[in-house]
Amino acid sequence: MKQDITLKVNGIEYHLSIEPQRTLVEVLRDTLGLTGTKKSCNEGECGACTVLMDDKPVASCLVLAVSAQGKEITTIEGLAKDTKLHPVQEAFVKKTAIQCGFCTPGMVMVAKAFLAENPKPTPAQVRKAISGNLCRCTGYQQIVDAIMAAAEANT
Amino acid sequence: MFIRRLPKFEYHAPESIEGAINLKLTYGEDGRYIAGGTDLLIAMKKREVTPHHLISLSNIDTLKGISMADDGGIRIGAMTTLGEIERSELVKRYATPLWDAVDVMASTQIRHLATIGGNLCSAVPSADSAPPLIALRAFLKILGPSGEKTVPVENFFKGPKETVLNGEEILTSILIPKVDENSGGCYRKLMRRKAMDLAIVGVAAWIKLDQEKKRCIDARVALGAVAPTPIRVEEVEKRLIGSIIDETSIGEAAKIAGTQCRPITDIRASAEYRCSMVEVFTKRAVLGAMDRIMAG
Amino acid sequence: MKTYSVVGKSVERTDARIKVTGQAYYAGDLTAPGMLHGKILRSPLAHGRILNIDTSKAKALPGVMAVITGRDFPGIPFGTRPDIRDQLPMPITKVHHFGEGVAAVAAVDEDTAEEALDLIKVDYEELPVVLTAEDALAPGAPLVNEFKNSNIAYASDFMFGDVEKGFKEAYYIKEEKFSSQRVSVGFIEPHACLAQVDSTGRILLQGSKQSPYITWRHMCRALDIPLSKMRIVNPFVGGGFSGKHDPFDVDFAAVRLAQITGRPVKIVLNYDEVLAAYRQRNAMDAKLRIGVKKNGEITALYAENILEGGPISGIGPFNIYYFGAFLNIPYKIPAIEYHGKLVYSNRAPCGTVRGQEIVLAQFCIDSLLHMVGEDLGIDQVELRAINAVPSNWVCANGIVVDVSGLSECIEKASEKIGWKESRKEKKEGRGIGFSCASHPSGPRLGGHFGSAVMLKLLEDGQVIITQGATEIGQGSNTVFCQMAAEELGLPFEYIIQGVSDSDTTIFDSGMFGDRATYWDGNATIAAARDLKKQLAEIVAPSLNAKPEEIEFENKRVFVRGEPARGMDWLQAVRKAYYEKGAPLYGRGNWAALDIDIVDWKTGKGNLVHGLDFIATAIEVAVDRETGQVELIKAVHGDDAGQPINPAMLEGQVNGGSAHMSGHALWEESLYDEKGRVLNYSWRDYKQPTAMDAPEYHVEHIHTHDPYGPFGAKGAGEASSCSTIAAIANGIYDAIGVRIKELPITPEKILKGLKEKEGK
Repeated sequence: MKQDITLKVNGIEYHLSIEPQRTLVEVLRDTLGLTGTKKSCNEGECGACTVLMDDKPVASCLVLAVSAQGKEITTIEGLAKDTKLHPVQEAFVKKTAIQCGFCTPGMVMVAKAFLAENPKPTPAQVRKAISGNLCRCTGYQQIVDAIMAAAEANT
Repeated sequence: MFIRRLPKFEYHAPESIEGAINLKLTYGEDGRYIAGGTDLLIAMKKREVTPHHLISLSNIDTLKGISMADDGGIRIGAMTTLGEIERSELVKRYATPLWDAVDVMASTQIRHLATIGGNLCSAVPSADSAPPLIALRAFLKILGPSGEKTVPVENFFKGPKETVLNGEEILTSILIPKVDENSGGCYRKLMRRKAMDLAIVGVAAWIKLDQEKKRCIDARVALGAVAPTPIRVEEVEKRLIGSIIDETSIGEAAKIAGTQCRPITDIRASAEYRCSMVEVFTKRAVLGAMDRIMAG
Repeated sequence: MKTYSVVGKSVERTDARIKVTGQAYYAGDLTAPGMLHGKILRSPLAHGRILNIDTSKAKALPGVMAVITGRDFPGIPFGTRPDIRDQLPMPITKVHHFGEGVAAVAAVDEDTAEEALDLIKVDYEELPVVLTAEDALAPGAPLVNEFKNSNIAYASDFMFGDVEKGFKEAYYIKEEKFSSQRVSVGFIEPHACLAQVDSTGRILLQGSKQSPYITWRHMCRALDIPLSKMRIVNPFVGGGFSGKHDPFDVDFAAVRLAQITGRPVKIVLNYDEVLAAYRQRNAMDAKLRIGVKKNGEITALYAENILEGGPISGIGPFNIYYFGAFLNIPYKIPAIEYHGKLVYSNRAPCGTVRGQEIVLAQFCIDSLLHMVGEDLGIDQVELRAINAVPSNWVCANGIVVDVSGLSECIEKASEKIGWKESRKEKKEGRGIGFSCASHPSGPRLGGHFGSAVMLKLLEDGQVIITQGATEIGQGSNTVFCQMAAEELGLPFEYIIQGVSDSDTTIFDSGMFGDRATYWDGNATIAAARDLKKQLAEIVAPSLNAKPEEIEFENKRVFVRGEPARGMDWLQAVRKAYYEKGAPLYGRGNWAALDIDIVDWKTGKGNLVHGLDFIATAIEVAVDRETGQVELIKAVHGDDAGQPINPAMLEGQVNGGSAHMSGHALWEESLYDEKGRVLNYSWRDYKQPTAMDAPEYHVEHIHTHDPYGPFGAKGAGEASSCSTIAAIANGIYDAIGVRIKELPITPEKILKGLKEKEGK
């Protein structure tokens, strides 16, 4: 049976009627058309579907959309202001941290949340922070470099 | 066989424990409590379980939060997320082995969803939170239709994915007793990768030394992922208690640990490897605990 | 050397901003009006006869629009080469591996499609399984493919030089066996596609495809339609690594379901399906014998190699071929004998993975070389330097190495990792391993190999570039834009990347083997020259010059040697557009026609241009108590000729290395005795995380390839080839234990340590 819920995504409130078994990633992608959040393993192992819920990164494939009511959801689409990229996004671009791009949205979301809590991290801390996000293209080095650069740009 | 979309169910999010219990009484076997959901939702996607009613505990505020109890112990609400525990100074300071465990569990995006209560109630043999809590002599508070009971963590598990909880009972909180003077603990986990991995072996050790910090006067050692449930290894503790903690006593205690475990061979490791790693990690956990005691 | 203004600069990727904002649309993100959702029913058996498939209940479920099985296709097999057409869109008589798709459903939503799968009843007769090469070759083994009379899918036997003489001249001979496990390809985007069919029957397929031309040809053949009846448009692709070349049941089912229903059909796999049932790397059993002189110079090599590849040949014959033919590099080996076999089995079908089977060959050779060095007391760096292929070298099989920077690569890598210092003071449990490798810039596997580029000049002076090579993350689009800008004398921003669409882009032979930068790069230059020639003809009269005197630089078009005697680029463009009615486009195509087409029988010939070289040094730490290996630091001395975009090149080098560190240490697709996959989840199939990958450094060794665009060579795959042996050798250096069976697990290391201490 569908439930009426209000979901706040990237600052916008959506009134939706959805079935309780729908996960947050399904609602973001299929109902709201926010396909920047990627889906791959559907079991919390790859990090591609990472979004922020009240500023904390979560695997949106393991969140029921009905349970996300009352929380602030931020997706990759909500970071840039007009054409101005978020500093983490800017660093990913500048440091060549992107290849195929499929892990990128999840990686950026984790990095944003991580830097908000740890403004001056070490590379080892950065590696730990993104260890729930699989990337096959880059070998992670330039992603780590980008997150470090974003931290430095902030201080 | 393969992961699918979630099956259909009705979702309930009561705001009180009583409300949750009543819903469970109504739906019986067809109803299931859901905490963080990081285990249950995957099991449902694989159709291992298909409850028609999910009773979420996430709107019950009394199940959340970390606080210091009047007696100096720590109370952790069962619905506290691993992410909150990871950030808790109280846990880091007074329940260090638990903090060690949370620090190496899953990923940041899972830790913000998964709860300590859920980790315990899922009762997988490799649950990282269990050995530290056993070593810390923690108790679990359980509320059911017939009232409240308190169970030591070591008595909570009955088998893989099986606990002493019955029917409508809800794990409400974890009580960790006050830390004694000259005591310290540590959890060490062996993984195949350095992150995002289940324990091949997990060992928690808690040691209490005498006033001179020489002789061990109390000890608790618990193992994870090497038996159908997390287990306390009293034979290991006996070897340590009364001894001066040195290479010999640690070595012998570790050897005993290696004989006490009952692991299986699976895709992650052979039983033989697990046993020898129990030995290595018992040693490392005890040494870790000792380092912390010495550091004050 | 000429200085370039765009080439050689680490310009921003053309797609970086699109990807970082979540606006890059991958196949799974696409929708179309009236779209249906498809799902595939998979075999629970690894080998079984299909007795009956009853789809009636599924068809009757409300919301289900169509159900298909293998019988809904024309039954025409396809394959990489005419002699190995052993694949069908979906099976008809037998299932050959666990998770093989046996039926597919299209329904109004995903839930209904999944529900319908439960209603399809398949009756199987379970058959005995073939799991290993040994099983496959055993007398009386069950036949994986009934139309073949054995399980041998392909074989190659090569003889280069005088092997007998080579071994006679050897001071020392060593023979060892090596093996490698089944690994998955590991891109993060699962297979997905959206198929649409219009009322004329023309198909539009938008899928996650790495080499659309390959998909296109195979699909049209198996669907029994002319090429003109199908259009392939590539959305963004989430990594390929050779795992997305050919069409899969995903693509076929979506198309067939769309044909039947007349509505768009999208199929998106979940990643567990990918791990269970799609492309993996062949398992290998190899034996190598090497002969060396007292100083370590190699005199001869003998190699046997059996690859087990699942129920299809796929690209397997190339794998067999590559393993043998490229034993000739990166070391000077005067004589080589090779016997390779590809066998069928009832495990997941194999294609290849990053670095192709040079990855496996190099693991064997460089491990063996290290062992020889240990036995003879020769320094590992010196041993490689002695044997390194130099420039202008002709290999035993006839490959001509035009330019080799390998010696410098070795020097830089050993310097940066601190090899000499590490020999003076050896840290407990620490070690450094070396390996070299070389990878060609795309072979000519057939006469059709070629690349084409088109540059469309817009009236505002910008240029849209389209090419057959596909962007799958490696950065080729950016590289082509850089090359076009350089050749046209324009800023990088003036070149706009167009969409890969079979209606407008001229397709090429595929995105693999480090060939795109080289082949499509040369085609890009040709296209730019063609455009310049046309523009020069238009502007020359007004400058009182001959067209061949016109130069293009700094957004200017002018007479050679007289920059003032000219006009702005935009003015020239307007002249063409507004005065001459000439909307221009440049076209260029390129094929390495001066090299030999692969001779499958002998493996001989000058097979490639642009051999890129690498020397990899990896520092490891081994925990003697747990057997766990930690990768501390990796240094790659990399000769990719002229780097077109150094930062992107580094990303490729690092990525290939991290990928193969997974192959070396953690990844293995496991099967039970009935051929069922045991770990088709990322929880249990362990690809390296950011914490597992080491710190990477790339030292660019600039060389100039005479045939490559701007002197560039193909790049990116060499580090895949050098990494595994470097890790294995590093582990030996750390604790004196040699592991020859991949993956190098903690348990194998502890067993090795025990045996060593027991001696």
